[in-house]
Amino acid sequence: MNDERFFDLAMKVIARQATDAERAELDAMIAKNPALRTEWERLQADARLAREVAPLMAATQASGGEFPAYARERLQTKVRQALGGSRRGGVKARWGWLIGLSGAAAAVVLLAMLASRPAAPEIEVALLDVTGAVRGSDTNEKALFTQRWANATVQAFDKPADLDAWQTNRLQGGRPVTKIVYDHAAGEVRVILPGSGKPFSRTFSVERGLAIALQEADTFIREQTNKGR
Amino acid sequence: MQLPDLKALQRGDMAAWDAAWPWLWPAAFGAAHVTLQPYLPAEVEDVAIEALEELVEKVRDLKSTEELKPLAASIAHHRAVSLLRERFAKKRGEGKTESLDVTGDEEGHAHEPGADNSPLADLEQRELAQRLGQSLAELKPPLGEILSDFFLHGLRYEEIARKRGVAVGSVGVYLKRGLEAMRRIWGGREES
Repeated sequence: MNDERFFDLAMKVIARQATDAERAELDAMIAKNPALRTEWERLQADARLAREVAPLMAATQASGGEFPAYARERLQTKVRQALGGSRRGGVKARWGWLIGLSGAAAAVVLLAMLASRPAAPEIEVALLDVTGAVRGSDTNEKALFTQRWANATVQAFDKPADLDAWQTNRLQGGRPVTKIVYDHAAGEVRVILPGSGKPFSRTFSVERGLAIALQEADTFIREQTNKGR
Repeated sequence: MQLPDLKALQRGDMAAWDAAWPWLWPAAFGAAHVTLQPYLPAEVEDVAIEALEELVEKVRDLKSTEELKPLAASIAHHRAVSLLRERFAKKRGEGKTESLDVTGDEEGHAHEPGADNSPLADLEQRELAQRLGQSLAELKPPLGEILSDFFLHGLRYEEIARKRGVAVGSVGVYLKRGLEAMRRIWGGREES
C-alpha cells in the first residue's frame, strides 16, 4: 500500500498535479526512507523518457492527417532515382511521355489557380467545455487556436444549446464563414465548412494532442478551400 | 487500408508507393510535428516529406512491413532535431535567441529542443525505429494509451479512468507497468 501511495504521489508531483499537502507527504516519505530517493530519481528519469517516447509512439500509430497532394510528384521522383521506379503494366510505361505532358499541363493550371487565389476564408472558433476548465488549460488551448488562425474570433461556451445557436445563427448569415468547434469532453475538433448548399463537416480527434488536430484541421480547410476555387 | 507490399516498394513499384504515402504520412508528419511545432511550425510538412524521401532510400534494408512506420517516424524525428539544433546554433552565432528561446510545453515543463541530455538524442535512426517498434508491440492497450493520456495530454487519474473505462485505482498500476516496460526497452542505452 505504501509503495502504491509513493508511486501515485510521485506521479502527481511529476505531472504537477499534486497539492502542497501531497508534495509534503512525498518529501516526508523520502526523508523517512532514503532508499525511496533512488526510486524517486528513477521515476523522474522514466517520466522524461515517457514524455519523449509517447508522442513518437502516438505518431507511429496515427492514421489521421491527409497526405498533401503536392508532395506526390516530388516523392515519385525520389522513387525513380533511388529504386528505378516502375509502373505496373506496359501500356502506362509506353504512354509515360503523355503522362509527363499531362503533369506539366496540370502544373501550369495549378500555378494559374494559385496566382488567382482569393483571400483566406473567415474562421470562427468555439470552445465547448461543459465541465469548466478543470486544469486551467483553457488559456493554452485558446492560444493554440489563435496561433494557428491569427485572425479567427474565439468564443467559449459551457452550454451545448448556446453552441448550437452560435452554429445555426452564424451559418445562416450568408457569409462564407468556416466554423471550428472544439468539444473538450468529446476530445474532438469539428470543422464546419460553408457549402453552396448544406454545410459539411469533418471531425478530428485530439488523441495525439490538440496542436496536431488543429494542424490536420487547417490542412483540411486549405484543401477544401482550394477545391472550391 | 491494406498494409503496403514491402517487396513491391523495394523494387520501386510506383503504384505501391502511391498507395503507401497516405499510410506513412501520419507517422512522418506526427514525429516532425511534436518536435518542431512549438518552434518552427512552418517546417513540419517539409521535414515530413524529406523523411519520406529518406525512407525511400532505406527501404531495401527493411525486412518487414511493420518496420516502415517506426522508421518513417524515426527519420522524421532525427531530421526535426537536427533542424532545430542547426537553427539554434545559427541564432546563437548571430547573438539572437529571441525567436527560438527555450520555452515550456502545454503542461509548463521547460525544455530545450533537441537537447543533448534527451534520452533519445544519441540513438541512431535504425535503433530508434527498432525500439519504437518494440514499444508498440509490448505496450498493448491500454498501457500505451494510458501513458499518453498522462504524460502527453496531462490528464488526471480520474479523467483517464473515465476515458479508458478502467477503475481509478488501476490507473497507477497501468502507469507503473507501462513505465517499467519503457525502462526495459529504452533504458539499456542510458545505463551503458
